[in-house]
Amino acid sequence: MKSSPSSTGTFGLIPLLLTKLNREAKEFFFTMQEFFWFSLRAFLAIPKAKRYWRDVLDQAKICGADSLPIVLVSAISIGALLAIEVGNLLEDFGAKTMLGRSTSISVIRELGPLLMGLMLSARFGSRNGAELGAMQISEQIDALRAFGTDPIAKLVTPRLVAALIMFLPLTALSDFAGLNSAAYMAEHYHRLDPGIFWNSVYPRLAPKDFVVGFLKAPVFAIIITLVSSFNGFLAKGGTAGVGRSTIKGIVVSSGLVLIANFYVSKIVLENM
Amino acid sequence: MIELKNISLKYGEREILNNVSLTINDNTIKAILGPSGVGKSTILKLMLGLIKPNKGRVIVDGTDITHMTETSLYEIRRKMGMVFQGNALFDSMTISQNLGFFLRENMKLPESEVSRRVTEQIQFAGLEGYEEQLPESLSGGMRRRVAIGRALIFKPHMILFDEPTAGLDPVSSKKILSLISSLRKNNNLGAVIVTHILDDVFNVADSVAVLYKGEIIFDDVTDKLHEAQHPFIRSILSDKILEL
Ligand SMILES: Nc1ncnc2c1ncn2[C@@H]1O[C@H](COP(=O)(O)OP(=O)(O)O)[C@@H](O)[C@H]1O
Ligand SMILES: [Mg+2]
Repeated sequence: MKSSPSSTGTFGLIPLLLTKLNREAKEFFFTMQEFFWFSLRAFLAIPKAKRYWRDVLDQAKICGADSLPIVLVSAISIGALLAIEVGNLLEDFGAKTMLGRSTSISVIRELGPLLMGLMLSARFGSRNGAELGAMQISEQIDALRAFGTDPIAKLVTPRLVAALIMFLPLTALSDFAGLNSAAYMAEHYHRLDPGIFWNSVYPRLAPKDFVVGFLKAPVFAIIITLVSSFNGFLAKGGTAGVGRSTIKGIVVSSGLVLIANFYVSKIVLENM
Repeated sequence: MIELKNISLKYGEREILNNVSLTINDNTIKAILGPSGVGKSTILKLMLGLIKPNKGRVIVDGTDITHMTETSLYEIRRKMGMVFQGNALFDSMTISQNLGFFLRENMKLPESEVSRRVTEQIQFAGLEGYEEQLPESLSGGMRRRVAIGRALIFKPHMILFDEPTAGLDPVSSKKILSLISSLRKNNNLGAVIVTHILDDVFNVADSVAVLYKGEIIFDDVTDKLHEAQHPFIRSILSDKILEL
């Protein structure tokens, strides 16, 4: 294993690289397998969530009420930005009356949920990762197991249930804030009559627009909670290890949120 | 009784334990002595079934727990109390909540019985007046006593200590060690004490196993340790330092 490249030459390097690749591939599949079981156990414990209703409430407050400001801020800024930019574009085509339609679709279907997902992955995901990671390295998770309590049912399932419940109203509030800030910009920046703006929003919104937008909430809830919690459970190597696992949780869940955002839109829009 | 039979364990490529066999009898205090990173905490986790060996068997009171599922292990684990190296108290809960948590979780006891047992442990650990404090506001020695109280809450017949005196000042260490001795005298409890401190061994242990480079190099009554010939044991006896 310890042969140096110079003594074995280029040809000696190839098997070495292959061994390394092989080991990393194995580790990857092993981790995926672990993640699968972890997720399954988190879902199977949902019927037991009643028992931990206090934890569910605590987590609902954290991912719902406490996350509301950042979700609203991002919704308002994306709504306002869209109204300004899209309005400028549409003006060139003399189609400014379509502003409501184009911003509402973007806010409800795509950018609204996506930005909310990323914000929650940063806020709720990082908190999960750090908190559970700290519990892991201080052996609190081992202590739960040692005294006969399932740590996934106690720590992960309440977070999952809370996120599944809270992400839906968060989406609705974020849509509402985004649309209103777009309407505000349409009126005050583009001098568009609010009646015209809203007229191009409501009658034209189809059920599938809402299905796309609101389906993303539970999908993101599952991704963010499970990925960040799983990484917290894997933390090792002291405080630096908690940092590493938290970052990994955020990066992976943000990446998956981006991918899921695309596929949910694609699948729903192709099938409805 | 806890038996480890021909246990081998690897973390990734690294071999930690190599064909380790150990027996821990009821009503005795057994120390496992070894330098840091040798795999002492790992041995305790094997005994509780928190991790699985690559080879060998773990037997608790005659039951082979090596391949048991997590859920069936819960029952077995309650026969043993565990005091973790860093105490592993729940930092968001008060002392009495920490003590009562697992009773409320896992036993269907009336609340009056829960508070009776919590009060009993508070008194035993000498923590009257600190019931409503958070662990962070207690001293290291007090936190350790809370952890011991929690480990006793199911009335186990064996208690596992991971470095019970590490990081404590001499006075607190002494207090903890006399607490451990009193447990056996008054409650007939067996104990496993994992440590890298030689004084712990001579103070409380009936017998001692020395773990070195993945193997048990000594396993006998404590007094015989002085006669051991292994160079590692000779060197720790002469300068009492285990950081080799
Ligand atoms: N989950 C793990 N993954 C990889 N290595 C580990 C893990 N847990 C412990 N180790 C390593 O195994 C060795 C033994 O660990 P441990 O049993 O904690 O030692 P001790 O308690 O004797 O100090 C250490 O070198 C430690 O770094
Ligand atoms: Mg240790």
